[in-house]
Amino acid sequence: MSATAGRLGLSAAVLAVLIYLIFPVIVVVAISFSSGNFLVFPPPGFSLRWYESIAGDPEWVNALWVTLKVGSLSALIAVLLGVPAAFALVRHVIPAKALLSALILCALVTPPIVTALSTYLFFVPLGLVNTVVGLACAHAVSGMPFVVINTSASLRSADINLERAAVIHGAHPLWAVLRITLPIISPGIVIGAIFAFVHSAHELLVATFVLGGVGKPVAVKIWSGVQATSDPTIAAASAILIGLAIFTFASAAATQSLAKRRTA
Amino acid sequence: MTALAEPRAAPLLRPALSSRGRMLPALLLLPCLAWITFFFLAPLVLMCWRSLASEGFSLEPYGVLFTSPLFTKVMITTVRTAAITTVFALLLAYPLAYALTVSGGKVRALILVFTLIPYWVDIIVRSFSWLILLGDNGMVNKALMALGIVSAPLQMLYNPFSVLLAMVQILLPLTTVTLFGAMLRIDRTLITAAKIHGASEWHAFRTVFFPLSLPGVYGAGLLVFVLALGFYVTPALLGSPRETMIAQTIMVEASQLLDWPQASAAGAVLLIITTSIAAIYNRYFSLDRLWGGSDK
Amino acid sequence: MTEFAAAAMASGAQLRLRQLTKAFGASQAVDRISLDVPAGAFVSLLGPSGSGKTTTLNLIAGFLTPDAGDILLDERSIADVPPHKRNIGMVFQSYSLFPHMTVAENVGFPLRMRTRLSRQAARQRIDEMLALVQLGHLGTRYPRQLSGGQQQRVAMARALVSHPRLLLMDEPLGALDKKLREQMQVEIKRIHRSVGTTVIYVTHDQTEALTMSDLVVVMHQARVSQVGTPRVLYEAPANLFVADFLGDSNLLTATIAHVSGDELAVEIGNGEKIRAARGTSAAAQGSRTVVLIRPEDISLTATDERTAGQDVVAGTIKDISYHGDTFKLDVALGADMLKVKVPRERGAGMERGQKVFLTWNSSVVRLLPAADRTSDASGEDER
Repeated sequence: MSATAGRLGLSAAVLAVLIYLIFPVIVVVAISFSSGNFLVFPPPGFSLRWYESIAGDPEWVNALWVTLKVGSLSALIAVLLGVPAAFALVRHVIPAKALLSALILCALVTPPIVTALSTYLFFVPLGLVNTVVGLACAHAVSGMPFVVINTSASLRSADINLERAAVIHGAHPLWAVLRITLPIISPGIVIGAIFAFVHSAHELLVATFVLGGVGKPVAVKIWSGVQATSDPTIAAASAILIGLAIFTFASAAATQSLAKRRTA
Repeated sequence: MTALAEPRAAPLLRPALSSRGRMLPALLLLPCLAWITFFFLAPLVLMCWRSLASEGFSLEPYGVLFTSPLFTKVMITTVRTAAITTVFALLLAYPLAYALTVSGGKVRALILVFTLIPYWVDIIVRSFSWLILLGDNGMVNKALMALGIVSAPLQMLYNPFSVLLAMVQILLPLTTVTLFGAMLRIDRTLITAAKIHGASEWHAFRTVFFPLSLPGVYGAGLLVFVLALGFYVTPALLGSPRETMIAQTIMVEASQLLDWPQASAAGAVLLIITTSIAAIYNRYFSLDRLWGGSDK
Repeated sequence: MTEFAAAAMASGAQLRLRQLTKAFGASQAVDRISLDVPAGAFVSLLGPSGSGKTTTLNLIAGFLTPDAGDILLDERSIADVPPHKRNIGMVFQSYSLFPHMTVAENVGFPLRMRTRLSRQAARQRIDEMLALVQLGHLGTRYPRQLSGGQQQRVAMARALVSHPRLLLMDEPLGALDKKLREQMQVEIKRIHRSVGTTVIYVTHDQTEALTMSDLVVVMHQARVSQVGTPRVLYEAPANLFVADFLGDSNLLTATIAHVSGDELAVEIGNGEKIRAARGTSAAAQGSRTVVLIRPEDISLTATDERTAGQDVVAGTIKDISYHGDTFKLDVALGADMLKVKVPRERGAGMERGQKVFLTWNSSVVRLLPAADRTSDASGEDER
């Protein structure tokens, strides 16, 4: 088989797979702008009415607000706990390090239904069911691996001698970490936080058990909507979530490249 | 010359290192581990406990699990679906990951972005977009009929086909990125060496690259399999009752039948299966290298 | 005491290491290292990677805590003092200049952290330092705008601005190309003479250590192999490792043939007996030993021109290579192969296969212990 034929074949395969991946996303976004009443693709015309109906519906607005609160709070907790953990794992010698990092990553390979059921059973006596804080605490557990992994990666590639140069010339070690190292690894932390936020916004099962009633987040509302309604409101809600994720990621990327330009 | 050799033996001063230095890593890790223990491990223990004891100690829920035809069928369906999903995900992810490995900066970045964009869309939406596409009035059927390939709409929904199609698509980004990470670690100069010694592009790939990529394939496969076992939304939305997977059954037991011990038992069994597989993975591949190559 | 030491005593600290020990898990990185460094000296820690030199430096800096042993600066123990309070300056291989600060701000950093100097006084110090490293005009630039050599000079200015009594340098020239490295070596020595601080300089490059240092500490497998001035180390190595590590060497296994008074003769591989310098190692007749002869100490002639008092051996040239100013020849002597270095005119007429006569002064034939704890007895080739 000649090299060019192989390369062409590979490119064709790659293109096909990418289309397979992207297409449903395009479908959803397109339908959210549909002027028709039904979930059909391609949509008959362009219209913003579904976004308007969401904006005007207090339940949807409330759901979006809840998602924002839960997501931000869980991402914050994940960062506050995960960043020091990353420092410990990368910079220090610890017994059973592999076991400990496996423990942190556990949450990501556990089936969501198991996490949801167990969390619910645990929260009932604690009175954390139907609370934003409760859900945020639960989501923080699965947000932490994202923060730890990305922060660790940033830490590993950062030059430790920069921190040491500050310390040996008089800076207090904590000052050196906060003012020298943290700014350098902030891209990793921010990316981890975004992943944690997005994961929380998409999470369905734990949210259904813990906050599935009155103050439910968007993911739960979309799920009940999908099984009940058949109009493009669902598509619009999802598109909003996508937009939110893209916006957060884009602004993070922009701030990082600004920071890089300053220090490169 | 000034005496600089080993000076006369001096008594050993100073015992071991300060206790402050020793405690720092523990202090840094403690909050994180404590949180996970409280909000994750403790609930799991509680769930296992509840599966054994509702009114006095009883293994009955487990007995039901292993004897009831409903549960056994669901477990078989779950494992089968997860296995097939894994195979197809690997088949599709491999060329994509390979393309990522051999591509230069801009092309690689582009492919990576496109691979990861679907990640930003939640599972519910990705599943239900297939609902739209594969329906009787959906785009696929319309296209097939317009091309004259079929005369009546094909039933493409609510069967294993739609479930697998959607699950593979959902798990593809992660599989690709994991494989990519593993492939990056393969020494490409080995392939160059093979080609210099006369191997064709295909031969070099088949005899050098592919065997070296197999550990990565097994690793990614294990990971995808574990995740696929726990799927809920996709089979619920796109499958018929015949395609029910274990997560759905647990949900029904818990939220509708309110049979907590039964649900907990099923959950415990699922937990044990996934933990065992993850432990095997960890033994050979180390869980924290998973996302090593997927830094965005 | 040499003249540098006398002048520098005021500005350089005396450093003592006492049985310093550090292990990482099962591997011993630094094994009971003891050292006395006089005030103001330029001391190199020289050794292959893994010998423990960087670990020792990090222990002195305070980034690592020793498992046992002590570190004394001006006779006061600093082992319990955290690194930011030790008042030491340090220069790293990767320069480690703060990217978001200007050159002047980088240099002024230790002053901001350690002192309460007024803005004006600080400004003056910074200018002084930049002048010292000959970068006075670059104060407002950012590190990314400077070349590697310039960045390293800024790093030195930063390390010296608060007049520390000890300066640590961790392979600072490793990232520079050969020509720049040689220029910077001269620069560093000039700065050292001006400032007079005590310098501990880590390197794996023996030429660098020999040309720059007052004293060299050769390290091997977590221990000190030998300490001495460059000349002593090169001309009177105490063991196999040092003899082999510094410069080119011919190491021949031999048996002690004859010991009497000042005279010592050994029998080398091909049965011939040659005289050797008495040295300090105990020599018992009949015992095995290793002799060292430096390639440049051997004279090569085509004919037997022996004079009284000199040993001459005959050999055959196996290989010649041209090195611009010299020729290096491999001469076979029975089972041994000797490396010989001759000036260009000498080697010009020689060719492979030619029979030649080697001669040297018996004082350059040095005895080495056949094996000791600081030499890698199993791995070393004896050529």
